[in-house]
Amino acid sequence: MRVSEVLRTCLRGPVASVVFAALTSGCMSFDGLDEPVTLATHVADWRDQVIYQVLVDRFANGDTSNDYNIAPAAPARWHGGDWAGLESKLDYLDELGITSIWISPVYRNVDTDAEVDGYHGYWPQDFTAPNPHFGDVMALRSLVKEAHRRGISIIIDVVTNHIGQLFYYDINLNGHADDQVRGSGEQSPVVHINEYDPDFDPRGIQSETSLGEAGPAPIIFNHEPVSNHMPPEPAVLQRAEMYNRRGRTVNFDDPDQLLHGDFPGGLKDLDTTRCEVKQAMVDSYARWVELTDVDGFRIDTIKHVDREFWRFFAQKVRQRLAAKGKTNFFMFGEAFDGRPELVGAYTKSELPSQDQLARENECVSDGRQITGDQLDGVFHFPQYFQAIRDVFRDGQSTDRIEKLWSERTQHYGLEPNELGTGLAPVRTLVNFIDNHDVPRFLFQGDKAGLGIALLFIMTEEGLPCVYYGTEQEYRGGNDPANREDMQLSGFETTGGTFQLVQTLTRLRKQHVALRRGDQAVVWASSRTGDEEDAGVFAYERAGGDAGDSYALVVINANPNHTASPAYNGAPMKVSQPGGTVLVDVLGNKTAPVGTKYVVGSGGTVTIALPPKTGALLVPEAQK
Amino acid sequence: MPRSPCFFALLVAASVSTTLPALAEEPPASPLPAVPAAVPAAVPAAVPAAVPAAVPAAVPAAVPAAVPAAVPAAVPAAVPTGGFVFGSYGRVSSAGDGTGGAARESDIVAHGSRLDTSNYVELELRREDHWDKVGIDTRIVSTLAVGNPIFHYDANFDAQIAVRNLYLEASGLGTKGVSAWAGSRMYRGDDIYLLNFWPLDNLNTLGAGVRYQAPTRTTAQVHMGFGRPDSPFYRQQAARPAPLNQFGAATVDLLDRQRWIGSARIEQQFSLGVKGGLKVIGYGEGHRLPAGQRESARAGVYEDVPEETGFVVGGQLGAWTGERNTHLNVFARYAEGLAAYGEFASPTGLGPDRSTRGAHELLFAVGGNWEWERFAVMGAAYVRSFRNASPSLDLSDVDEGIVMARPQVWFLDWLGLGLEGSLQVQQRGALVTLEAGDEPTPLVAMMPRVGIVPFVSPAGRGSFSRPMLWLIYTVGYRDAGARALYPNDDVFRVRSVEQFIGAGAEWWFGSSSYGGGIL
Repeated sequence: MRVSEVLRTCLRGPVASVVFAALTSGCMSFDGLDEPVTLATHVADWRDQVIYQVLVDRFANGDTSNDYNIAPAAPARWHGGDWAGLESKLDYLDELGITSIWISPVYRNVDTDAEVDGYHGYWPQDFTAPNPHFGDVMALRSLVKEAHRRGISIIIDVVTNHIGQLFYYDINLNGHADDQVRGSGEQSPVVHINEYDPDFDPRGIQSETSLGEAGPAPIIFNHEPVSNHMPPEPAVLQRAEMYNRRGRTVNFDDPDQLLHGDFPGGLKDLDTTRCEVKQAMVDSYARWVELTDVDGFRIDTIKHVDREFWRFFAQKVRQRLAAKGKTNFFMFGEAFDGRPELVGAYTKSELPSQDQLARENECVSDGRQITGDQLDGVFHFPQYFQAIRDVFRDGQSTDRIEKLWSERTQHYGLEPNELGTGLAPVRTLVNFIDNHDVPRFLFQGDKAGLGIALLFIMTEEGLPCVYYGTEQEYRGGNDPANREDMQLSGFETTGGTFQLVQTLTRLRKQHVALRRGDQAVVWASSRTGDEEDAGVFAYERAGGDAGDSYALVVINANPNHTASPAYNGAPMKVSQPGGTVLVDVLGNKTAPVGTKYVVGSGGTVTIALPPKTGALLVPEAQK
Repeated sequence: MPRSPCFFALLVAASVSTTLPALAEEPPASPLPAVPAAVPAAVPAAVPAAVPAAVPAAVPAAVPAAVPAAVPAAVPAAVPTGGFVFGSYGRVSSAGDGTGGAARESDIVAHGSRLDTSNYVELELRREDHWDKVGIDTRIVSTLAVGNPIFHYDANFDAQIAVRNLYLEASGLGTKGVSAWAGSRMYRGDDIYLLNFWPLDNLNTLGAGVRYQAPTRTTAQVHMGFGRPDSPFYRQQAARPAPLNQFGAATVDLLDRQRWIGSARIEQQFSLGVKGGLKVIGYGEGHRLPAGQRESARAGVYEDVPEETGFVVGGQLGAWTGERNTHLNVFARYAEGLAAYGEFASPTGLGPDRSTRGAHELLFAVGGNWEWERFAVMGAAYVRSFRNASPSLDLSDVDEGIVMARPQVWFLDWLGLGLEGSLQVQQRGALVTLEAGDEPTPLVAMMPRVGIVPFVSPAGRGSFSRPMLWLIYTVGYRDAGARALYPNDDVFRVRSVEQFIGAGAEWWFGSSSYGGGIL
């Protein structure tokens, strides 16, 4: 027996017990530290949720001890926000009326690269360790626990497509990361090709000597702990074959580059067709749920990842969590794209060819074969472009929204995923006005436009998602200008937009039709000029799982004149019977809250709205 | 040409010894303005008759003219009786880890075994006088401390030095038991020798205090002092344009706040038999740091820094037999707020209001020594629980403790053998993954250690007889939790078994801080 074993055997017993007893008696205890996390389902129906997106680094600094290398004056550097800070502001979010918080990725990132920091969380280095800038596992647990106590769910952001800038391609085989090895700007806007971010090569990045190409360039991981350019974790990701190694994507329309190229900025693309990578991602992210009891994933850059990965990832995460008591776990993805057929494809249950399926099943180790199930929802990016930008910001015709909505059943999943949310993905699209990747609405839009956009996402089918600072009328432009510090707002609750969001979340909670009702467009217009209905869009929420609840939303997106849902003497018709009194529970500058409208014979409703305003009408008995 | 007082201070310092280059290089804005005035006044009376020949070289003729007020006409009438006293505490060792590497201190708790502590020496020079006319005793205590590394080891002709004492104490003020002091002082009570630890009262401040020792064996003392550790928590400097339209920049203190510490201690001793005794000590501290303002990370944007307060309450129960150094001390101490962080600390893990409010430390400790014939046993233990001000648990929230015993036997009056065994345990408020793939668990670290210490004790038998020469061999086991406290590739992270093989020495004599202070 070795000395160490003898010591361990002799001294770990009674003597240690005495010391431990002294340490753990009375007030010398670690409340909650040893407490196991019991997974539970905290959301009954995801349609009831109002999501609030938080960039943790920018929200609130609750623990100055993790303020490592912060520079709040620089938009691209760490600012000091953390999980403790977010927890300290739950009262504010409660008051706003949100019910779910989507937070930045929780794992450890590359700290800084090329004088820009990984504050956003999309430069993963260690998928298994918490981001020390945000706190530790206990701080995250505390946030989740307190949120759950208030009936708020927590969604964490996850990245599976890439790791941070952790290795370079040793193109000239000199064992050194050269800043320039070639590049003239002919193949891409990148003039100087360096070994961190060389242009895409479908063969894989090749090494070169003075005599020509010399085969695939080896990759070399950095070891710079100060900036956390360290080999990735889990350790399986330290093997070269786990990466596609084809260099930087320069043409996103090329499917090969889209799926297998490094994300601009040197974010190295994982080979997500490999079983090891699939399993590593399931293990890493399911573990975060097991450690903290969070309630969902927002998944980054899904269109850059092979489709087979989503089948494996979504199904295995659901199965693993369900076995531990957590169901109704919501996974929605981000495909930054205006094409609904592409965005929706990640929510459809579709089986690949038999050969492909057989290959995918080779990754299965638990005997549960792969099915066609994928994600529970996606960001409604097509709507961002066609409704938020084109209609509510730029005043284009509202019939494009009707068309977009009418095609939803073609493009999005119509059946609930097994062990999923119990809802068809088409009903749980995540509707947003802006986020951390696009300019804020007010950067180019106006406050009135923001108001009707908020009314729109809060009352249409799906889950509304409010980007932090929207309620404070932040107006930053493109990244990173759109990632302002929330603390600069003072967390005021008296502003007009704050109170509008508060009102809308209250109404959404109050009227089940706004959450669970079916949706039917009752007025849309192709006109944008002086016509009486130019800019009007109206839809009903009723039926479905809403019981008798009913709501009618009428929006005038026209920036210039009062408009009505009527044209050439043909008024809007709704499903409510004649004589029904509808009450505006929202109000506007010409028709205050409580204004009544009587449904005419044949279901007609006559209403006129000033420019860029809206009305939310409910039966008088339900107001 | 007139000379400033600092000029003479530099001259004196430079002439004393070439081993004090740091003093000689001190800029005119030295934080020691009191030195020049004190030197001329003390020199004529303090230097014995045999020494005057050396004095002229150290004190130039210009001194009296430059500082006439420092040498009042009344001085000759108050000639005291007294002299200089030199004292020292020191420990030095050379040791290896058994693998060819240098031995390192390997404790995982805040106060571990003294055996592997690094080299350290204090050189104390005191001037002690009795002023017959007024019946007052004074002592001027200056203690220079030198820490590791030692020149002969690292070949750097340099040293880490600090002034640990620089104060004047006067006793017999009005009545025999009253004394007062002012200056910079290590101000502390009883220690636990094995742990090199003062569990109840150990303050290092620039301040002043008074003490009264009653004939009833009651002692009461109070003190107040200041400190301003060199850290952004206390001080922030920034460059600003020079005033009056001058070129360049001037450095200004945007935040400059000093920590006030006040302490009070009362002790009552009781006889126990012929030689023995008991003592009960009550102790308290108050800490305050004023509010301030500093420039935030956004240039030109200022943020308020809150006021900090804190307190300590504690007590000690001691007993001794009066036979040799047999004694037992039990300590309890609770600190809250700013005081929970210690006087030199720059608090971290602050609360939501950016203050230390809510931080606390609870400590229980025991130390003692028992001697009989040729045998002795020293023992020590403590448990400590610290929570920073941050409401959530984190890595700096810690519970820890150690138990230790050192039995000793003397084969001859000057030769003996000691054995030391200890177990130190620590738990932190963080979940960690000790091995890749493991689930995170609370970080619990443990290190048992045993050692053998043959020694030569020229001063005779006794646990506290010094000087002492010794050989040391210790072996400790670092469990996975203990290894996790060190970064990757640190040998302490890699290996479980730690050895310390060396030779060393420890002494104390004539020191105001060590020796004779056990009870």
